[in-house]
Amino acid sequence: MKLTRFEKARIIGARTLQLAMGAPPLIKVSKDMKDPMQIALKEFELGVIPITVRRRLPPKKEVGELL
Amino acid sequence: MVRVPPERFGEPLKETIEDILRRGYDYRGYTEGGYEGKLDKNLGVILAITKIIKIGEGKIVPGDGAVYHDVTFEALVFKPELHEVVEAEVVEVVNFGAFVRFGPLDGLIHVSQIMDDYIVYDKKREALIGKQTNRVLMPGDKVRARIVTISLNPDKKETKINLTMRQPGLGKLEWIEEEKKAMKEKAKEKVKAGGK
Amino acid sequence: MAKKKMLSEKEKIMILEKEIKDRIPLSLYEELKDEVLKVDLTEDELKEVIKEVKKRYEFAIVEPGEAVGIVAAQSIGEPSTQMTMRTFHYAGVAELNVTLGLPRIIEIVDARKEPSTPMMTIYLEPEYAKDREKAKEIAKKLEMLTIGDIVERTEIDMIDSKVIFYLDKREMERREISVEDVVKKIKIKAEKEYDEDKIIVKAKEPSLRELRRVREKVLSTYIRGVKNIKRVVVRREGDEYVIYTEGSNLKDVLKMEGVDYTRTKTNDIHEIEKVFGIEAARNAIINEIIDTLEEQGLTVDIRHIMLVADMMTVDGEVKAIGRHGVSGEKASVLARAAFEITIDNLLKASVKGEVDELNGIIENVIVGKPIKLGTGMVELLMKKEYEQMRGA
Repeated sequence: MKLTRFEKARIIGARTLQLAMGAPPLIKVSKDMKDPMQIALKEFELGVIPITVRRRLPPKKEVGELL
Repeated sequence: MVRVPPERFGEPLKETIEDILRRGYDYRGYTEGGYEGKLDKNLGVILAITKIIKIGEGKIVPGDGAVYHDVTFEALVFKPELHEVVEAEVVEVVNFGAFVRFGPLDGLIHVSQIMDDYIVYDKKREALIGKQTNRVLMPGDKVRARIVTISLNPDKKETKINLTMRQPGLGKLEWIEEEKKAMKEKAKEKVKAGGK
Repeated sequence: MAKKKMLSEKEKIMILEKEIKDRIPLSLYEELKDEVLKVDLTEDELKEVIKEVKKRYEFAIVEPGEAVGIVAAQSIGEPSTQMTMRTFHYAGVAELNVTLGLPRIIEIVDARKEPSTPMMTIYLEPEYAKDREKAKEIAKKLEMLTIGDIVERTEIDMIDSKVIFYLDKREMERREISVEDVVKKIKIKAEKEYDEDKIIVKAKEPSLRELRRVREKVLSTYIRGVKNIKRVVVRREGDEYVIYTEGSNLKDVLKMEGVDYTRTKTNDIHEIEKVFGIEAARNAIINEIIDTLEEQGLTVDIRHIMLVADMMTVDGEVKAIGRHGVSGEKASVLARAAFEITIDNLLKASVKGEVDELNGIIENVIVGKPIKLGTGMVELLMKKEYEQMRGA
């Protein structure tokens, strides 16, 4: 599934926050990789972030109830 | 809804959630979870989390790195019911009545509700004494009483339960025994009298 | 080398159908097909074309969560500021005075019942379009003519209680009307006299009021033409004659013989809605806005305008953008209050006991919650397996 740019931003953002708050990284982290964002980006590249996106279809509306 | 903080991501989910439900943890000055021993207005006192039935999907909300799960679980609760008869232990006696403890809760038996007698308070012995019957109620005594009013509050100090012992079959356990014996004697005498 | 071979028409269509047909809109596919069939291509080249089309199409798709409304507002609003600064007026098409520029845009978006300068562009059927005389014939039939248009001045004679209409001979000649024609049209039951240059109508009762009434009635009497069509101009455009009119009456004009009803148009959107329906009205809104902008030398992506037109027409009737239309009918109390007349909206809502579900963007901005737009509308779920995932 292709992610929209908003979804990508949210996933990396959320993952960065998790890492910053002490979540264990899911990739090998070398000594010079200290920035949680760097780690999150790397995780995203490798596709190991355990986060999925839920997409909702717009709610079905009766005629005359639009807007 | 259980908040699983990121630092516990590596651990097995079910155990983590169980632990959070039981003991809780500090988050921004509040305690998250930690339901055991808590008092709920509708449920009563939660004594133990016995079983986790279902763990819902983990939601991530903006601005927090934690994961939120809807969790269905089974808990053992103590919920005092109105007019319920409980056995309790007297923990403190003051001039206006006796505080009794039953399970996780404390209640008050007002002086007027202790026995069918005129009662005096003995400050030295910390006891309430019936003037005519000479019955004594002191801390440590076991009593049987009926709950007459309940006002539960998450703050245990604010929770108020009133009980009474002025009904047949209620009172300090020794008194009940005495009554029983007295009743039996009376019955025997009646039988004898009837036999003549 | 089979791949270097030029493809036949059949082969091209086969490849197109297999590779791209279901991935892009049909209209785009048809366009691509037409273009591809015009040129010689090898299989590799065609595949390259298809790849490029796919890429461009995917690039053009708006992602869910994009704030299209804001982008549209900005994209139309920014060039509109340019418009107000250009103060000189275009004379408009062929001596006809037409509202253009920002006032026209506002007029369309406000969904006024009638444009300030209603106008029609009437195309003719081939046999009329090529012939100047025939075109003029139709133009003459179109133009609304009342007696007032050919009267130079009037006189009220109180003594004999009659009204005298002095006719404008030159005007009558130009419009090819005889005095008899005019008199025939006067339907008032009254004594009528006429000669070469004047018509006298006698009133029944000798009061000034009655005389004035008679005068007004006679002056507004139709002689010929289509109602509301005030002025008509015939212009040569390319190889055909086109009629431009001041005033609009789509329904009646379309019924006229010689009028090409497939191309004839009006700038009155409500009239289009009434005659052709809501879809036509939507297209009319789009075309009118685009034309107005283009005339000012501004280009705005059509999709922004389509969004505006869609919002105005979703309900099945043309609605204005603004407090009497789209914004005023929002479900949320707070959204309405945030737009205009705040206190009124809040007061009315409280009287009715309305509930705001806080579903929209504006409401959530007001209460300070994250909004459901862009990154804010993404719902994230943690995969359950994360419990087993430990550091690598």
